Amino acid sequence: MNVTIEGKPVFSHLNVVLEPGESIIAESDAMANMSADLDMEAKFNGSLPTALVKKFVGGESLFVNHFKNNTSAPLKLALTQPMPGDVMEMELKGNSFYLQPGAFVACTPGIDLSVSWAGFASMIAREGLFRLKVSGNGKVWFGAFGGLIEKHVEGEYLVDTSHLVGYEPGFKLSIQMAGGIFSSVLGGEGLVTRMKGTGKIIIQTRSINSLATWVNRFLP
Amino acid sequence: MQSFEHTIHCKPDFAMLTVKIPGGKTLKVEASAMATMDTNLIMKTKFKGGLGRFLGGESLFINEFTAENGPGEISISPTAPGDITHRYLNNETIYLQNSAYVASNPDILVESKWQGLTRGFFSGESLFLIKCSGTGDLWFNSFGGIVELDVTDGYVIDTGHIVAFTEGLTYNIGRLGGYKSLFLSGEGLVCRFSGSGKIWIQTRKIMPFAWYLNPFRPSK
Amino acid sequence: MNIDIQYRPGSAVAKIQIADSESVMAEGGAMIAVSPNINVETSMFRKEQGGLISAAKRLLTGENIFLNKYTSSGGNGEVWLAPNLPGDLETRTLDNETIYVQGGSYLASSGDIKLDLSFQGAKSFFSGENLFWVKLSGTGQVVFNSYGMIYPIEVDGSHIVDTGHIVAFTDGLNFRITKAGSSWMSSFLGGEGLVCKFEGKGTVWFQSHNPSSFGGIIGPMLRPNK
Repeated sequence: MNVTIEGKPVFSHLNVVLEPGESIIAESDAMANMSADLDMEAKFNGSLPTALVKKFVGGESLFVNHFKNNTSAPLKLALTQPMPGDVMEMELKGNSFYLQPGAFVACTPGIDLSVSWAGFASMIAREGLFRLKVSGNGKVWFGAFGGLIEKHVEGEYLVDTSHLVGYEPGFKLSIQMAGGIFSSVLGGEGLVTRMKGTGKIIIQTRSINSLATWVNRFLP
Repeated sequence: MQSFEHTIHCKPDFAMLTVKIPGGKTLKVEASAMATMDTNLIMKTKFKGGLGRFLGGESLFINEFTAENGPGEISISPTAPGDITHRYLNNETIYLQNSAYVASNPDILVESKWQGLTRGFFSGESLFLIKCSGTGDLWFNSFGGIVELDVTDGYVIDTGHIVAFTEGLTYNIGRLGGYKSLFLSGEGLVCRFSGSGKIWIQTRKIMPFAWYLNPFRPSK
Repeated sequence: MNIDIQYRPGSAVAKIQIADSESVMAEGGAMIAVSPNINVETSMFRKEQGGLISAAKRLLTGENIFLNKYTSSGGNGEVWLAPNLPGDLETRTLDNETIYVQGGSYLASSGDIKLDLSFQGAKSFFSGENLFWVKLSGTGQVVFNSYGMIYPIEVDGSHIVDTGHIVAFTDGLNFRITKAGSSWMSSFLGGEGLVCKFEGKGTVWFQSHNPSSFGGIIGPMLRPNK
């Protein structure tokens, strides 16, 4: 399998070449173009309770597509995400990673997707109650609106909550005001997430919520 | 005033500015643009710009971040998908379109300027410009990519695409060739510049983007 | 005519330099800036049969149906053009050929290229998509835009493209609407719905993203319509 990420960071998408017998799993509706000889099958995204939770809360759809090459020659496929933005590849070797709901694009067959409880701190911060956990062995591709920046945190760091895409397990998250009460509310910064721990975090350089607020001013 | 160490990531579509604020120094930042920061940065909100800025639809506040007990790093993401440019002002004045201000050294004076009914930029843009003058760093953003033009004899620019221009250039607002032309050609108002200086233009504008999203709004 | 495209693939802009007396046609609403010696003439695009296309169509498709003709006089001139949506720009030199471009994707062309909106099937190749198509033919340069990154796919045999991702294609390719998966159920549940299968030999210009998908994500966060 050969997967390249094209169009970074604004219109990232995956160009995939599947060798005979290989398959790749992608988020529903991610296929942009493909060789006519590839087989595509919609499969249920995990067990029923998990799938339902994922759909209504996690932002992922109930189904994923399995693309398989059942021919004897390599075949091509392009996978994309609904919003403009960056896509990153991550290799997992038995470890796991937490992602914002809706960030999943594709993965190799050995990866497990599950939804877990993110805690009330997450809810207050407008993130949503759940987060997507990816684990197992293989590769996962995820994306977000905006560019993606990987940062290594040692000790602690403050992140505006709508800019946090993913983080390694082991971080302790808490919510705080950006400045004093007056500052936070009027200064527009509002709530920020304080991350305590050591490890990798992924941030996005834009937020769809802020974009919507800005566009609203210009709508008829 | 020495230039602050900084990097601009993800140019030109999802630009994010990262500034290393020296210990004891302060950076002025557009309200609600902070994405991440070190925990030793203290934020204060200042009421700036006066009524002018409020009427222009832009938020009233500029935040000041001061690094205590050593340098601190802050990453700033504007709302619009687009570019960020840095200019070190050397006892100069630059006029910015109303939503273009990102950050500056406290030594730069930032004020709202009313352009008057006949000289304001219509077609969705505000009637106010932001005047930045003095010596120090200035960062401003755009919707789309920023193109810097060196203008000697004047130039004709669609008002929705203007980001900034240097003092010394004069302009008047008009239509591209007569009234009939305005409605038929789809161009809004144009700005005819005369004199010489620098003009920064952006490769996208907000109104057509808002029209494109209009059909996706929820209905009451 | 010299066309320089900058800031691909997300904020693409075309800087077009034209010689004295040379002209370039462009979609109304695409102009960013022109140098002082450029003259602009506006024309309304008419159907071959003579009627005017209603202004309502412009809102539906996002395509301005007005064309501007930029001519340089008294020396060389410069015209900066950009499309409405974030996205890419691509140029193509036609040598007595025909290509079909999605209505909202036409940006500019050199003066000799013929534009046609009223050919058979112009209304919509793909039912369900709110699109119209422009037939460009002749010899000269054309510039078209996309939502997403644009690149050509050389088809020699067959290839499937999701209908929201087609920008343009060359004359001579056969195409039909079909289902993506091995069964209708699979297609529908997998979210792919209908796709277009191109067959034959030619080029399809593909855009990496679908503007309706982004609209669907940000839509619920926008101020409701009255």
